[in-house]
Amino acid sequence: MKQSYWLALLAVVVIIAAVWIIYVPGPLAFAKGGSVALSDYKDGDPTGVPAKLSKDDLVSRGKYLTRAADCEACHTAKGGEPYAGGLAFNLPFGTLYSPNITPDKETGIGNWTDADFLKAVHKGIAPDGSRLYPAFPYTSYTLLTDDDVLAIKAYLFSLAPVRREAPPNTLAFPFNQRWGMVFWSLLYNSDERFRPDPKQSAEWNRGAYLAEALGHCGECHTPRNLMQALNNRKKFAGAVTAGWKAYNITQDKETGIGSWDADTTARFLAHGHVEGFGTASGPMGEAIDMSLMHLEPEDIKALVTYLKTIPPISDPELPVPKTTLASAFPKAHEISENERGAMIFAGACAACHGWSGESPVRSYANFVGGRAINDPSARNVAQAVIWGVTRHSPDGEVTMPAFGKAYSPEEIAAVVNYVTARFGAAKSNITAQDVVKIGQQASQ
Amino acid sequence: MISLKINGQPRDVDTSPDTPLLWALRDLLGLTGTKFGCGIAQCGACTVHVDGEAVRSCQLPIGSVGERAITTIEGIGATDAGAKVQKAWLDLEVIQCGYCQSGQIMSAAALLAHTSNPSDDDIDAAMAGNICRCGTYVRIRAAIKKAAAA
Repeated sequence: MKQSYWLALLAVVVIIAAVWIIYVPGPLAFAKGGSVALSDYKDGDPTGVPAKLSKDDLVSRGKYLTRAADCEACHTAKGGEPYAGGLAFNLPFGTLYSPNITPDKETGIGNWTDADFLKAVHKGIAPDGSRLYPAFPYTSYTLLTDDDVLAIKAYLFSLAPVRREAPPNTLAFPFNQRWGMVFWSLLYNSDERFRPDPKQSAEWNRGAYLAEALGHCGECHTPRNLMQALNNRKKFAGAVTAGWKAYNITQDKETGIGSWDADTTARFLAHGHVEGFGTASGPMGEAIDMSLMHLEPEDIKALVTYLKTIPPISDPELPVPKTTLASAFPKAHEISENERGAMIFAGACAACHGWSGESPVRSYANFVGGRAINDPSARNVAQAVIWGVTRHSPDGEVTMPAFGKAYSPEEIAAVVNYVTARFGAAKSNITAQDVVKIGQQASQ
Repeated sequence: MISLKINGQPRDVDTSPDTPLLWALRDLLGLTGTKFGCGIAQCGACTVHVDGEAVRSCQLPIGSVGERAITTIEGIGATDAGAKVQKAWLDLEVIQCGYCQSGQIMSAAALLAHTSNPSDDDIDAAMAGNICRCGTYVRIRAAIKKAAAA
């Protein structure tokens, strides 16, 4: 009798633990305001395009929404035609290629009906019934209204069809079994359209729609659980995605963006750079240049209003960014500590970044206050050195050359460690092996 | 129209603010002493001074110069450090093919204007971004020391 009592208790504990691990709260659960159907929310419509564009034709509205959903970043190969697919996602269990979403009838989505497109975007199911991988963020896009999804389709179908077949995926078993996503979707795809929070303002709800449904911020910035679903208990607390760290964007003052005022946050979203707060590069640089910089100011303002309400969560791996410049010239002991790194920095980096970390040529190249330079994992600094940075920013083209083929992994590790030690709040200690590994994780 | 101050003279150029300064200097103003090397701030051939700092003009958007004074190789001989560097360069016959040398002289003059008696480490830090295919580095270092002593 006693034994069965303990067994039953153990079973209950195991079940609770399993449910705790498998179950994740929804993206807006943190606000604790409940939700109503869109039609029951009376303060305004948080979906669609901003009011001043609402009279535009369907394709123009679709273009705005397509940019807000940042379809282009993933559906374009490096140097390839926009939306023609072929970008390689290098995952631990193989490589996944984004498909062509131009209206080409054979290699794109030219034959898709409205119903096909809605099913793919809301449910992650292709017209032939096969399941899409959640690298396509349909668990976020499922929140989009039918009207918005079909406006996006109208824009995509207005583009010139491009004939381009994506290379076949090279996922290992069991990940190559698309039907496995049936169960995953049952657990993690709500398949429910956006439900506003009636306790929040229209601006907040617009921000929530932009961040959760269209911009899918959490897909990179929210850590995933064991089942690779977004763990909204740590909403926006930072995660590694495609080899780059998507930093903490909660309101934590020290390791998130809680100390950024509204104007700084808005300017960063619209430019991907604010003096003293660093420069977005890698996937966030793309998100700025292809998506966020094209948003109307009122939408940026709505995003800021929403972000300001995200509960603070601290990232224990990050120090408070250093906000002072380094010396005008290196001290001798700094050089002897890492002679190789200092030599490479002098030859390849100092001309643009400056010895003090304040660039003589572009403020986008300033180090001071940036998150990456103050991250002792040095992951994003290494990616920038290996792959370079290309920004089509609102302030013009900004380019950092890619040094991955010019220097050996040993040399890159040395210069990265030199840079974090000289300019950051906590120095990194990465090895040549780390450099190789980090570089391979980037999407190409 | 963008107004610049180059070698003490006011100059107006009719171009967009994202044009690199090097393009304006060479193609629009005919100041061809400053050289185009790599175009990505990796070689130093395009070095000019902006308010006395050595800057790679191939990466500097003309719109961000503002009121700051630009000095090019054509004007550097009028400065104290520049005149000393040019003399030392001639005395030691530093130059071989010469393509990188306007940039080398500009970086060396900026260094000496800041640091009148530079150590080897100072010279390395200031000059490492200026590369020379002919390998004149040994004579460059000697000439900087000679100019410092002059």
